[in-house]
Amino acid sequence: MNGFNIYRAYAIARKEVMHVLRDPFTLTLALGLPVMLVTFFGYAIDYEVKNISLAVLDRDNGPAARRLKEIFSSSGYFHPVDAVAGTGPIGMLDSGRASAALFIAPDFSKDIKSGGSVKAQFVLDGSDNSKAAALMGYLPGIQRAAQARLTGQAPPELISAETRFLYNPELNSRWFTVPGLAAIIIGLLSILLTAMTVAREWENGSMELLLSTPVRPLEIIVGKLAPYGALVLAGVFFVYVVSRLVFGVPFEGSHLLYLAACLLFVTAALSQGLLISVLVRQQQVAMQLGMITGLLPSMLLSGFIFPVESMPKFFRYFTMLLPPRWFMAAARGITLKGAGLHELAVPFLGLGLLSLGMLTLAMVKFKTDLE
Amino acid sequence: MNRTLRAFIRKELVQTLRDVKMRVLLFGAPVIQLTIFGLALSTEIKNINLAVFSRPGDAMFERVAENFYASGWFDRVTYVQGEDPFELIDSGRADAVLIAPKGGLAWSAARGDGKLQLLVDASNATKARAVEAYAKSIISAASAREYGARGAPALNFDVRVLYNPAMESSMFLVPGVMGMLVCLITIILTAMSLTREREMGTFETIVSAPLSNTEILLGKTVPYILLGLANAALVVTAGYLLFGVPVRGPLWELALAALAFVVTTVSVGTFISTVAKSQQQAMLGGFMFLFPAILMSGIMYPVENMPKAIIAVAYMDPLMYFVRLIRNIMLKGGDLHVFWSNLGALALMAVFAAGMAYKRFRQTLN
Repeated sequence: MNGFNIYRAYAIARKEVMHVLRDPFTLTLALGLPVMLVTFFGYAIDYEVKNISLAVLDRDNGPAARRLKEIFSSSGYFHPVDAVAGTGPIGMLDSGRASAALFIAPDFSKDIKSGGSVKAQFVLDGSDNSKAAALMGYLPGIQRAAQARLTGQAPPELISAETRFLYNPELNSRWFTVPGLAAIIIGLLSILLTAMTVAREWENGSMELLLSTPVRPLEIIVGKLAPYGALVLAGVFFVYVVSRLVFGVPFEGSHLLYLAACLLFVTAALSQGLLISVLVRQQQVAMQLGMITGLLPSMLLSGFIFPVESMPKFFRYFTMLLPPRWFMAAARGITLKGAGLHELAVPFLGLGLLSLGMLTLAMVKFKTDLE
Repeated sequence: MNRTLRAFIRKELVQTLRDVKMRVLLFGAPVIQLTIFGLALSTEIKNINLAVFSRPGDAMFERVAENFYASGWFDRVTYVQGEDPFELIDSGRADAVLIAPKGGLAWSAARGDGKLQLLVDASNATKARAVEAYAKSIISAASAREYGARGAPALNFDVRVLYNPAMESSMFLVPGVMGMLVCLITIILTAMSLTREREMGTFETIVSAPLSNTEILLGKTVPYILLGLANAALVVTAGYLLFGVPVRGPLWELALAALAFVVTTVSVGTFISTVAKSQQQAMLGGFMFLFPAILMSGIMYPVENMPKAIIAVAYMDPLMYFVRLIRNIMLKGGDLHVFWSNLGALALMAVFAAGMAYKRFRQTLN
């Protein structure tokens, strides 16, 4: 047997390229889908909770109660609506017409005037946790503003904090979502495309045909994956252009390092796809496994929305098996923090080891199946 | 229902369930995924690495800092004397740094300037927002404690949380993940079904069988609707047993919601499989539906936050209605107004999607 021959791998790659070019639907989607989805969801995803309907039951109807409602509405987070007669504020929470309710007691204005300490009841819809937690976070600020306006004097700020947000001073959600979205979409497309293309060869029986030729397994694999790698990297480039030009995401770090991270990540995702297709050999099952091991974990466990550090200990280790977790850390680090290789050594190592591991597993399985 | 059709449906079911891999993926994977996501995910931000900087002997500041660590949200970061606070954040060792005022906190507060500095790594915007909210509440509580009535505000909110008083994330997330899993399974099952038949050449056999177009379509969809419903029942049971997610509303509401949703997704999947020319295209089509459907469903972040134009698109997402329905039925007891309005929307979509699938299907057959 002779060693790896780049020309044979090239021949396989050329065949694969022709195959893709003949199918303009797949080609446009593979190139266009990442940009489309990043643009759309870059606009759509916003973590700042605002414009929340607040059902108000005002039993006081005095000037202070009116002012309190104004303060809620001018905060921009709440949109006060008077409670509907009959159902009441709790009924509005039940039916989802409001997410929070404010009860103002009959003597509210009088008590404020006489100067004691006054209470207003605030009820939250806990069936949506993230919203409820965000609304609770807004309360101290509203309380301060309300007290200043209602009693005419600001509460004494004996101790306070002055917060400085580094890397993203205005807490622009886009800067945070867009690099993450790109990671998810690119990773998924790579997994799905490779899983399907290799599984197809098995399903058609053309894999046996290929293997009976002098082409070696490694050459087949490199030849089949390289075109998809190139396709996905072209997608990365478009996504980069969109996130810089449309969303103004800053790029503090080194482009070369970013390219290296993308290459590693795409390799990891392609290896995952390859492993899946070697394991199952049917396109439908391959798609199913690709979606199960790719789509949901990369959206939910990679730190895209739910920070990995907030998970229970076991899952903090478990997520180390997911390439998108490492790429997410690397991409955010490079774009927003300007991190260098020194800070990102762990994510790079993680990506490298995962690619190597999956590639080896796939090759071993491939070879044992041949013998 | 005639015998041929019944036999056809049975054949489809047997064919799908015969494969061990398929059985595992259909019934094992959803339960495993529900368990993993239910345990791992939390909307609460925890384990924030916090470093504190102060001059030695600043007793009041140390008490405030102690309150941070006692809250359970923050972990202590140790550093060497003389390190730069910014460097701690740059290197990723700390997520936030709390810095005491120069002359000590008690001294500054007495002069009306008790300002602590909080540096936050905002490369993760959600986390940064949570850190600031935690810090504010801890500091205002500390202020009230240190200065008694002088530091306490005159207006207080008495806060109550309904439906999920302990604010457990799993109550909120598990119903969402359930909807997502049912959506995923039904689309995967159907998006390739006809495409594969055509690729393998078995499609002609079906067409030449003594079955009308409607019967073929029913034979190709009813089994998957049944499987989807079985899956929905499975995840609801798993959510109830494993995570104690309550089912406060009537079961028939849940069953109707699942039926309307599964009919919609199976029709969408079938539509994709009639349009796609190869299984690869079918897979891309399925991805094109699933990815937006999941992101716009309100499972991960509220739909109300989105810009108006995009909310309009979210109203076309069947998964959004289904997630609203299961959350409302399971957690809130299934308010009838919410139930009928969302079910109505879902049913309309089911009819539309089934109609589209039927139309395309006839074209494909002829």
